[in-house]
Amino acid sequence: MGGWIGRRGVLAGMSAAAVSSLAAPEAFAQIRTRLVVIGGGFGGATAARRLKALLPGADVTLIEPNATYMACPFSNLVVTGLRDLGAQIFSYAELSKEGVTVARDRAIDVDAVARTVVLEGGATLSYDRLVLSPGVDLRWDALEGYDETTARRLPHAWKAGAQTALLRDQLASMENGGLVVMTVPPAPYRCPPGPYERASLIAHYLKTQKPRSKLLILDAKDNFSKMPLFMEAWAELYPDHLEWRSASEDGRVSAVSAADRTVFTDFESVQGAVVNIIPPQRAGEIAVRAGVADATGWCPVNAISFESTLQPNIHVIGDASIAAPMPKSAFAANLQAKICAIAIVRMLSGQTPQPTVLANTCYSYTGPDAAVSITGVYTNEDGSLSSVPSAGGLSPLAATDSVRAAEAAQAEGWFSAVTAEAFG
Amino acid sequence: MTARSLRGFFAILSAVGLAACGANSANEAMPPATDLDRSATLAATCSGCHAGPETAMISLDGLSKEVLSDAMHRYKSELDGTTVMHRLARGYTDADIDAVSTYLAASAEVE
Repeated sequence: MGGWIGRRGVLAGMSAAAVSSLAAPEAFAQIRTRLVVIGGGFGGATAARRLKALLPGADVTLIEPNATYMACPFSNLVVTGLRDLGAQIFSYAELSKEGVTVARDRAIDVDAVARTVVLEGGATLSYDRLVLSPGVDLRWDALEGYDETTARRLPHAWKAGAQTALLRDQLASMENGGLVVMTVPPAPYRCPPGPYERASLIAHYLKTQKPRSKLLILDAKDNFSKMPLFMEAWAELYPDHLEWRSASEDGRVSAVSAADRTVFTDFESVQGAVVNIIPPQRAGEIAVRAGVADATGWCPVNAISFESTLQPNIHVIGDASIAAPMPKSAFAANLQAKICAIAIVRMLSGQTPQPTVLANTCYSYTGPDAAVSITGVYTNEDGSLSSVPSAGGLSPLAATDSVRAAEAAQAEGWFSAVTAEAFG
Repeated sequence: MTARSLRGFFAILSAVGLAACGANSANEAMPPATDLDRSATLAATCSGCHAGPETAMISLDGLSKEVLSDAMHRYKSELDGTTVMHRLARGYTDADIDAVSTYLAASAEVE
């Protein structure tokens, strides 16, 4: 982290007292630091806002190609007709108001030595510190027959927006009696319990709207997030409308044929009326360009500062980072953004980022008015994340409807909180 | 775990909130909420849910250190508690509960 030695000139004007006490953002108001954030999701938007709030004098630029953000959490409700897609849309207007420069462009390259970002529009931005929050890219090379073109026929709906609407519309126009097939990739991927929440809500949709239909889940894993809770809900609510096939039961899908909506496991082929392929994933392409992704396709970081262990002055937060046992969730991205922003301010002032305790909570709907949760508590004491023993865990099994309803209400509360944090 | 204990999830905070109302003059002596030490990073987790408009997630705005700390200790000590807050509170030391409660109480608003 020799990178910040170069900042001495900038910081030379600060009094020693201000540096040592780190009393208030006012102390840093004069720092004309160039901070660039790539990716306007839960991680990037939160990071940009926090950095600007902590360092009002800094130039904070958020690079995001889309005019608005389409949120993934709660999009499974959209898929199954329980929520309007419009409720998933968030703008960057508040960030602009707060003084963040929102550059509607795509970052196509990063030079970690020159500390520059090249934009598709042609501009080159210099940075003192760069925060990468690119989310995931779907791996079009991982599943034979599945690419950007065939995804228009077999939707993934794993990035919210047009794909969400496509899966919703395919389900809506499917005949009663049609088979829905969902394929789930091996870990790690964005939102570990997400496929099973979607499965629950699709099963609910079939049960209530198309009772002769069924959902078949073909899974590349033998166990999954919140498994006991989902299994309990499925047995109770959807025994006739949902079947989960594990990797050990020939659930792993290796190829798809879009033309006849067929998926291939090791020993079988299954044709669906609607086929939802959740493909394997990796860190967004810009992470590879920046040299912060390793051979796994994800980005190793120091978990105290979220600075890349591969390139100085570049921090990686959110789904793209390797933060396990913290999951790839919106909650985690939002929290990592805040921890990272604080670490960056400390580093700019010559202070070492401090270890802390982090946590995550993810809610999943098991039906329209019922949700379950998983929580984890983590320390980053030694620069990597580990779970705090005896903390965290799942919602109780065999709980009453009111317990599940209360967690559904909390899920909504979480969604308003985290979107307010990211987008104002 | 029952509906009763989940109601307790909300009852704990509202009960201690009422009890401690108006008994919070110690706030003036608190350090500024903008200190970027461990307490600021601890509090970053809280605002993941307790930010924005009040919903099923109560607002922490205006709650005193005593209210916050007492609630966290009660979550931590209720061994049969199964709410999200029970599961979270068990991961925090008494010192961290003290630090984050102090920080949040000193904040004008939840960060």
